[in-house]
Amino acid sequence: MSTATAQQLIDTARREGRTTLSEYEAKQLLAAYDIPVTRETLVRQRGELADAVRRIGCPVVLKGCAAHIAHKTEKNLVRVDVRTEDEALKIFDELMAAMAGEADAAVLVQEMISGRRELVVGLTRDPQFGACVMFGLGGIFTEILKDISFRKAPLEMRDALEMMQEIRGRKILKAVRGMPAADTEALARILMQVGAIGLELPSVAEIDLNPVILSGARPVAVDALVVIK
Amino acid sequence: MGAAAGSTDFERIFHPRNLAIIGVSKEGIGFGAGICNSLRAIGYSGEIYLVNPKGGTWNGQTLYPSVEDIPGPFDLAIIAVAAPAVPAALEACRLKGAAGASIVSSGFKELGTAEGLALEQEIVAIAKKGIRVIGPNCFGIYCPRSGLTMLPGPDLSRQSGPIAFSSQSGGMAVDFANLGKSLGLKFSKMVSFGNGADLRETELLRYFRQDPETGAVGMYIEGVQDGDAFFHALKTTAAVKPVIVNKGGLSDAGARAVQSHTASMGGSGRIWSSILRQANAVQVQSMTEMADACQAFTLLPGRVYRGISVLGGGGALGVAAADAAETYGLHIPAFHDDLAGRIDALLPKPGSSPGNPVDVANPFVPPKTIKEIMRLSASDPRIDLQIFNSLIHHYKNMARITGRPLKEVTPYLELADDIQAVVAETGKPIVVILFNPKSGMDHLDVVEMFADARRAFVQRGIPVFNTLSDGLRALGHLNAYYERKRS
Repeated sequence: MSTATAQQLIDTARREGRTTLSEYEAKQLLAAYDIPVTRETLVRQRGELADAVRRIGCPVVLKGCAAHIAHKTEKNLVRVDVRTEDEALKIFDELMAAMAGEADAAVLVQEMISGRRELVVGLTRDPQFGACVMFGLGGIFTEILKDISFRKAPLEMRDALEMMQEIRGRKILKAVRGMPAADTEALARILMQVGAIGLELPSVAEIDLNPVILSGARPVAVDALVVIK
Repeated sequence: MGAAAGSTDFERIFHPRNLAIIGVSKEGIGFGAGICNSLRAIGYSGEIYLVNPKGGTWNGQTLYPSVEDIPGPFDLAIIAVAAPAVPAALEACRLKGAAGASIVSSGFKELGTAEGLALEQEIVAIAKKGIRVIGPNCFGIYCPRSGLTMLPGPDLSRQSGPIAFSSQSGGMAVDFANLGKSLGLKFSKMVSFGNGADLRETELLRYFRQDPETGAVGMYIEGVQDGDAFFHALKTTAAVKPVIVNKGGLSDAGARAVQSHTASMGGSGRIWSSILRQANAVQVQSMTEMADACQAFTLLPGRVYRGISVLGGGGALGVAAADAAETYGLHIPAFHDDLAGRIDALLPKPGSSPGNPVDVANPFVPPKTIKEIMRLSASDPRIDLQIFNSLIHHYKNMARITGRPLKEVTPYLELADDIQAVVAETGKPIVVILFNPKSGMDHLDVVEMFADARRAFVQRGIPVFNTLSDGLRALGHLNAYYERKRS
């Protein structure tokens, strides 16, 4: 892992007067901390798209990306299961049009992680106890059910494993409906690493990794929000 | 934060050989005179030096005009003078060699004024020079062994025991001391530290951790000074003895301006509960739940209990018990036919049921029979602990029929002896539920008999809870704590 890489990303955003990292930057920061993220590439020019789609491999996910847009789904800037280069080009135009006016508008071409189990991992800073890591049910259920648990950083492996067992929906991590049991050690390492970010990067104020999708047994951070201060 | 913990002489603070009370007014009952009365009433046996700038005597005792005039050494000072005079009094006590001072006066940081804050900072500065301060704005220390008591505590118990308790709030502390006395809880030491200018939750927790007199720690917390240090002290203490925490003010007031879902959902209530779980502390929601947990942790052998038997009667006992038990990791295995048959042979007919729970149906089944049933139940290897749901309030009817006093017709002493004997014989603890539905003005004899019965059980080391759900909840705390502690 590289604290320096992460710090550079933060410094850049700060210089530009932003309070959040773009999804693309956020994923680079996470990757610097060995947190599994989607393979992805940022495309600014229409001419670079086909090559990017080929490299990532269909089906892909396309997301409209701009520094000032935090919640992309709510702004209808996410298209999943894009199967051909032609389809990708058409969507690229739509997304860019929807972001007209954003100086840094670009489209993120992302591998599509298929998996029906969505989790959330996050970081918050409590005024009394400092960096605290969250785990819970992800996707739309995060806000609806608030089925979540917290641990103060640094997390030991035991803390990480326990907080997963503390949510009401913990059975989602077991083998269910033909899906394999989640790799809870890999999930625990994500939780511990998010805690490490909280301790090592004081300028990271909040993190949402939502969803973290279970691709088979393997957890992958599919979307990421990093708030800086 | 005052002198380093290592150099603090807690022994002299909690078991002071002599005391000085600074600020005993001759007129009326001020705090100084009040605490002196409390100390005399509870029977503190050391010398108590009283200070009043006017000199003279009070109740036949010399009033020394200043701390300097006190003729002998003292370990602990109790300061009750007006706030502006506190720093000078504290400094005088430090120079006189006192290990600590409990400042009951108010008029400091809690006022929120610049003047109050400045006075409190003066106290902190003097404490750093080498005297530990409890308070200001507190009720002080209660320690049954040394006969040290809080301001409103002339009638607290002198029986020492394993429970240590700390609280910002003095009222909460003295209420818990009183509640404890009526329930038979025994304390090692109790500290109400008010504003906590010097000694406060974290350092007290570290002290309680290594205090051989303390077997379990209770805490009422409004806020902590240093979250990281508190967490560390909590975790290391809970690793050796149970720490039971009632956190006041858990509502997530004052939403912060945040952008992520994580931060918006991480309010202080949720974070506190998580922190307590992470440290393996036991979280309770009220002081009665605190008392129940303290009882379970100090009277029952520390381990995880799984299978329980429930014996007694009353309404939907079986259903209620089974539902509640499951929530706390307990289960009530049905007895095998052979055992159920032997229990059935002892039960009155009809209306009883020998399975598990065992419904005795008739409240007047003699203790001898109850004893036999409890012996049989304990023979089932799946049973770790037994619950006896008492129906002794029904003896009021027996008293009415026979025209004899209730306490004479109710066999609670025999029952207590029998239960104690069965526990000793089987090695499996028994918990008693004493639920009194007859507690109104027309049943004061029942109320009194229940108090007697409770004392009889607790004196024999048998925990008593008011309701079955209170008892199961306390067992749940025990299970959760020991399950995590051993893993």
